Amino acid sequence: MADRQGRLSATAELFGDALRQILAHPLRSLLTLSGIVFGAASLVSLTSIAVGMKEMAYRDLESIGFPRSIQFADRGPRSDATRAVDLRHPGLRISDAEAVAAMPGVASVHPRVWGGNLLATGPAGRRNIPVEGIAEGFLTLRNFEVVAGREFRALDIAHAARVAVVGEETARDLFGAVSPIGRAITLDGTRMTVIGVIAPQRFEMAPIDFSWVSRRVYVPWTHLQRYYRPPSRIDGMLVTAVAGGDVGEMLRRADLLVRQRHLGATDYELENEAADVLSDLAMADSILGGWNSVMYAISVVTILVGGIGLFSVLLISVRERVREIGIMKALGADDGHIRSLFLAESLTLAALGAVGGIGAGMGLIVLTTWIGAQFGKVFTIPLHWPGVAFALGFALVVGLLFGWYPARRAARLDPVEAMAG
Amino acid sequence: MPALIEARGLAKTYRLGRVDVPALRGVDVDVQPGEFVAIVGPSGSGKSTLMHLLGCLDTPTAGRYQLDGEDVSALAGKRLAQVRNRKVGFVFQTFNLMPRLTIEENVALPLKYRGGVPRKERKRRAVAGLEHLGLGHRIGHRPEELSGGERQRVAIARALVGEPAILMADEPTGNLDSKAGGEVMRTFEALHAAGHTVILVTHDPLVAERAERIIQIADGQVVA
Repeated sequence: MADRQGRLSATAELFGDALRQILAHPLRSLLTLSGIVFGAASLVSLTSIAVGMKEMAYRDLESIGFPRSIQFADRGPRSDATRAVDLRHPGLRISDAEAVAAMPGVASVHPRVWGGNLLATGPAGRRNIPVEGIAEGFLTLRNFEVVAGREFRALDIAHAARVAVVGEETARDLFGAVSPIGRAITLDGTRMTVIGVIAPQRFEMAPIDFSWVSRRVYVPWTHLQRYYRPPSRIDGMLVTAVAGGDVGEMLRRADLLVRQRHLGATDYELENEAADVLSDLAMADSILGGWNSVMYAISVVTILVGGIGLFSVLLISVRERVREIGIMKALGADDGHIRSLFLAESLTLAALGAVGGIGAGMGLIVLTTWIGAQFGKVFTIPLHWPGVAFALGFALVVGLLFGWYPARRAARLDPVEAMAG
Repeated sequence: MPALIEARGLAKTYRLGRVDVPALRGVDVDVQPGEFVAIVGPSGSGKSTLMHLLGCLDTPTAGRYQLDGEDVSALAGKRLAQVRNRKVGFVFQTFNLMPRLTIEENVALPLKYRGGVPRKERKRRAVAGLEHLGLGHRIGHRPEELSGGERQRVAIARALVGEPAILMADEPTGNLDSKAGGEVMRTFEALHAAGHTVILVTHDPLVAERAERIIQIADGQVVA
């Protein structure tokens, strides 16, 4: 125990001496380390940024509920039907939505009815505007920003209230500068009161364009259903799984259920938004993986080049200290002492380089965040720890590798010749 | 009392290219504990080589060397370094102090290489050694801040800190003016009087005269 403590303190002393030696030549040490610093900095910053961007894209998608939702869409009779059953076309119904909503693992069902382009008239103008009938909670689910007023409530839907939520741009087209909240528009001849204005949510990273949200009018789906569709028919529904639920499993069971209800007819399309998004993410992941391998490779080369700098500076250091080495040997230092002295110097230099590089990499991350902020983006880039660990570990390996020969050379000096200089 | 140093037929031949250059051609030396011996001879006589062999800085090409009862002529590497560390304390003409270390750090070096001596203990012994040689007021200074005589006394303190069997000095007054040189010589005499074994290598007959016994070397052999 005491021996181990002794060894520990001897090691600490060794590295303390090495640090002193390095600090005696600050400029030289700094220049030597530039390769390792650059390598570590690029590795840490670029892998962190790449991983951070991916996570931001993922959060964007999560924010609109994509990874948890599937979509049913009425398709109409199949033109390529080969089975009698496919000629039947019961269509998606309100009762289908209710049945799916009753399934375990389903968090919510949002029936949808398309109104198509309807003539909308406001005090400041008239436009042909795409109109969509939706359920309460849909806008929240998609994370659209309600910039004024409110979104639909359950009562609006239940009573097929004549209320509308309009996109930002449409609101300007129809009302000009006046606030539309509480005012009326005429939609295909029906007076609807505007209760809310929405804007598309802002994405930091995901390449999704939701700007059309600004040019749309939303109304309760029950309203469109009542006036534009046969009894009890809907055009589609969005189904979300409970948090942590298996979306694929929910899709299979919902599909089975609806097909049974339609007596086997596949008169609807089923889209697994989650799977689509996840496969996009998987692709992004593999691109990211490739990018990261390239970054690792470049950093390995840079750090190795840094190692050559380390090597030459250690040889210079050995040459400069030949006399000192001779004296140390005369005082009873053996080859092992001298070797560990220079290896400690090499390792300390490499570690300093790695730490400096990691610090510089963190600086670059902060800079990237700042640049993002100048463009109105909120970047959150956490440090990519595997990159940090690799940079430090590899720098130490390089320190050991490139320090070995100079250390050996120093250790093998003959004391008498060395003292003669 | 057994001899501290017992060397028989000690020889060292250097190889320069294809030519063998004999530096020492079979030397017998005996030194008793507590002796003060001067090895004298002109430059190139082999006296430095003899000191290197006796101080275990180098290994003989022929001959047998017993130091403090141990045959060291066949030792090399780590073992020889250990013997050097424990049995021999060196003082050099050019002081050979580490410029970046304080004087007490310099003095503590041999204990550092010995291993197993805690840092505090090393410092305590170094400070005690320096105080003993009248350098207590210089603690914390670096060698360049000291006079030549003081530096050489630091070197002596360093040679003594490990309590070696022999103190070896190679032209210890060679870089000093006569006053500082005299002081250093008085220090050696005092150490001798205190029971230390001192071997002094010099070409200066006035310095050699201060020793009890003189071994004269010429052309790699003992002549007197």
